[in-house]
Amino acid sequence: MRLRLELRRSQVNALTAASATRLAGQRLDVDVDGLRAVLEGDPRLARLRIDLVHPGERCRIGRVFDVVAPRAKLDGSDFPGVLGPVARAGDGVTLALDGVSIVLTDQQAEHAAMLAVIDMAGPTAALSTFGRTHNVVISAWPAAGMGRAEYLAAVRLAGLKTAVHLAQAAREAEPDAVQVFELPSPARVPAELAHLPRVAYVFQIHSHQRPTGVDEGILYGDPVRRMVPTILHPNEILDGAVLRGFMGRNATTWAIQNHPVIRALYAEHGRTLWFTGVVVTVAHATEPERVRSAFMAADLVAHVLGADGALLTKIGGGAPHVDMAQAAAQCEALGVKTTLIVEDMSTDGSAEGMLLFDFPGMDALVNVGSGQHRLPFPAMERVVGADDLAMKLGGEMNATYGTLCGAIEQIGATNVMAVVE
Amino acid sequence: MNSLRVVCYLNQFFGQLGGEDKAGVGPQAVKGAVGPARAVEQALGGAGTVVATVRCGDNYVAEQTDKAVAELLALVAAERPDLVVAGPAFLAGRYGVACGALCAAVQAELGIPAITGMHGENPGVDLYRRQVYIVETGAEAGRMLAEVGRLVALGLKLVRGEPLGPPAAEGYFARGVTRHVLAERNAAERAVAMLTAKLAGRPFASEVPLPDFPRIPAPRLLKTLEGATIALVTDGGLVPQGNPDGIEPLNATRYGGYSIEGKAGLDAGQYDNVHRGYDTTYVKQDPHRLVPVDVARELEEQGAIGKLHETVYSTTGVATTLAHSARMGREIADKLRQAGVDAVILTST
Repeated sequence: MRLRLELRRSQVNALTAASATRLAGQRLDVDVDGLRAVLEGDPRLARLRIDLVHPGERCRIGRVFDVVAPRAKLDGSDFPGVLGPVARAGDGVTLALDGVSIVLTDQQAEHAAMLAVIDMAGPTAALSTFGRTHNVVISAWPAAGMGRAEYLAAVRLAGLKTAVHLAQAAREAEPDAVQVFELPSPARVPAELAHLPRVAYVFQIHSHQRPTGVDEGILYGDPVRRMVPTILHPNEILDGAVLRGFMGRNATTWAIQNHPVIRALYAEHGRTLWFTGVVVTVAHATEPERVRSAFMAADLVAHVLGADGALLTKIGGGAPHVDMAQAAAQCEALGVKTTLIVEDMSTDGSAEGMLLFDFPGMDALVNVGSGQHRLPFPAMERVVGADDLAMKLGGEMNATYGTLCGAIEQIGATNVMAVVE
Repeated sequence: MNSLRVVCYLNQFFGQLGGEDKAGVGPQAVKGAVGPARAVEQALGGAGTVVATVRCGDNYVAEQTDKAVAELLALVAAERPDLVVAGPAFLAGRYGVACGALCAAVQAELGIPAITGMHGENPGVDLYRRQVYIVETGAEAGRMLAEVGRLVALGLKLVRGEPLGPPAAEGYFARGVTRHVLAERNAAERAVAMLTAKLAGRPFASEVPLPDFPRIPAPRLLKTLEGATIALVTDGGLVPQGNPDGIEPLNATRYGGYSIEGKAGLDAGQYDNVHRGYDTTYVKQDPHRLVPVDVARELEEQGAIGKLHETVYSTTGVATTLAHSARMGREIADKLRQAGVDAVILTST
C-alpha cells in the first residue's frame, strides 16, 4: 500500500458573482450570499465582507493576512484537524482550482503597516503570484473582546471553508489536468534505480519566535509547540496536513498547498534522484530545543531515510535561518550533502550581511531575495480589505518586497533573487 | 541626449605637472583634456566632451584628504559635469585613494555618477569599492587606451541609467551590494538542480557568497577571577522602563549603559525588553534570565570575583548590520577598558 494523491486541476479564467456557485467551463460563478451563509455564525466574528477582484483592475488589497488555494477532497476530510476531523491526508482524489485564490485580510491588527498588500495591476502585480489570479477577498471583523489568536483562527477557518466551498464546484467538471503524486516507502527502491542519489527535504514549518495560540493548528491541527523532528510523506503536505502559522513573513498557506520544493523533487524523482521523504521541524526559542532538533533532523535524514542529500528551507526571521543552518551542519557532519534556500538577511543591502551563519560545508545556497529591499508601488484606483487605510494605501508607496504578498516565498515558490554586484 | 559634460581627475604625474617633486601641488582645473583625459575624450566619441581636467599632487591629497577633496569638489562642481572620470590609477596607492575619495564625494555631494579604474591591489579598491564603480586595470599604464575605453563605456551606462551586468562581465570590482533580479526558474527548482550537481560532484555556483568573517580568538584573562573586575554585556534587549536611549527593536544602531550601583539585582518592574527577535515573555518576568546581576552579586560577595562592574551595556542583536555591530562592540570595549574591566560575561539569546 502506498499513498496516492490524485489532484484534479481545473483552470479558472473568469470569476463572476452569480445566483449559484458553479464552474461553467473555465468561469467560476460565485453565489456571494450563499458563501456568506456558509461562513456566518462563527461567534468569534462580528461581521463579514466578500469582494471579488480581478487581474488588471487598478486595485490594491490591503491588510493581507494569508492566501489559500481552493481545494476539496472528493471523499475524505478537508484540512484535517483544523476544518475536518483529524484523518490522514495525501491519499485519494482532491479537487483543485487554478487561477483563483482566497485572500484573507486581518481587520484587527493595529500596526497595519506590518501587513502585506496585493496589487492587481502594474509592475507590482506582475511580481506577485496573487496579482495574476482572480481573488476572493474575505474580510471579517472580530466580535467584541476577541483575542488575537481566537480572531485569526476564525479568519483562517473562514478561508479554509471558502477553499472547500469553491473547489466543490469542480465536483462534476472534467479537469484540465490530472496530477498523480505517488511515492513508495523510502526503503523500496527498484533495483534498476538504486544508483540514484537519495534526497530528503527538511521543511521547517514554524518558528517559535512567537509562541503559537491554542487554536493555531499547523500540523494536522496541532500547534506544534513542543514538536521534535517528524517524518511526513510529501503527499500529506500537498493535501492540507500542514498550514502556515498566524505570523507569515514572506510565506503563505497557498505556497505550502502548492509546495514548490516537493513538486520540484517529485519532478526529478526516479530520473536524477530518489525522493526519500520529508522531515518537518520547527525553529525553537531555547538552546537545548534547538540543538536537539538539529541533530534529530539530521539523524532522521541520514540514518532513517538513508539520504545522500538534503534540501532545507526555513520560515520566520533570523533565528530560524540559523536553526536551519545548524540542522544542515549536522547533516553535513554525517556526510549528507546539503542545499539551503535562504532569504537575504542583510538589512543594509550589503553582501556581507546576507547570511547569519558561518558553518563548514554550507557552500550551496539559493536565495529568494530580501524582504527589506525597497520596492515602489504605483497608485491604485480602489483599495479592498482595508477601508480604514484606503487614503494611505491608495496612493504611490515606497515600500519593500516584503510588503507585497506573493513576491517572496521563503519555501522557494518565487523567482526574485538577490545578486551581488 | 545632449553632448555630455565630462570632467577628468588626474594626479601630478598623469596631469603632466611633473614627478614626485610636484606631489605637493594643490588642486587646479584646466580647460579641456590633458594627458590620459585625451583618451577619455576619444573613448567618448560623439557622446560627450571633456570640458575640464582637474589635477592635484598625490601628497597634497594624502596629507589632508578632507580639505583636498572639498577643494577638488568645488573645482569639479564649477564645470557642471554629467560624469566624472578619475584616473585610472593602476597600482599607484595614493592616487587610487584620491580617485576613490573624490568619486565618492562627487556622487554624494553632486548627485552625478563618477567612475575610476585601478589594479586589484591598489588600496583604493578595498576602501571605495562599496561606494564607487572601480574598473579593474593592469598595474601599469601599458594598455591605457583599452582600459580607459572600458571605463568610459561603464560611465556612459551609469549616466544613461542603463542596467549594468554582473561585475565579472562588466569588468568592475564587485561592490558587495545586492540587487534584485528575476530568475528564470523559481528558487525551489534552482535548489534541486544545485543539490543534484553537488551530489554528482559537478560544479555549481552558490547564490550567496560564502562568509569570510574574521575569527577573533578570546583573549586570555591575565588575572585570577578573584582579582578581576567583571562586566555584564548583552545583546538580548534589556532596557530600563521607557527605553531612554531609544534602542531600536531590530536593526539596532544604538546601545545603552545602565547603572546597577547599589542594586543587589534587577527589579522586573523597572526593566523592559525591546528585542523583536525572540519570545521575551520570560525575560520580562525576570530580567536575571538574561542579565544575571543577582548571581554575579553573590559571587562578588563571596569573593569568587573581584568586583562586578557597575554599568551593564545592552543592545538588541537582531538584523543588526555587521558595520554597526562592529562599531558598537568597539565603543563598548573602549569604555570597559577605560573603566578597568578585565573580563566580560556576554549573554545572548
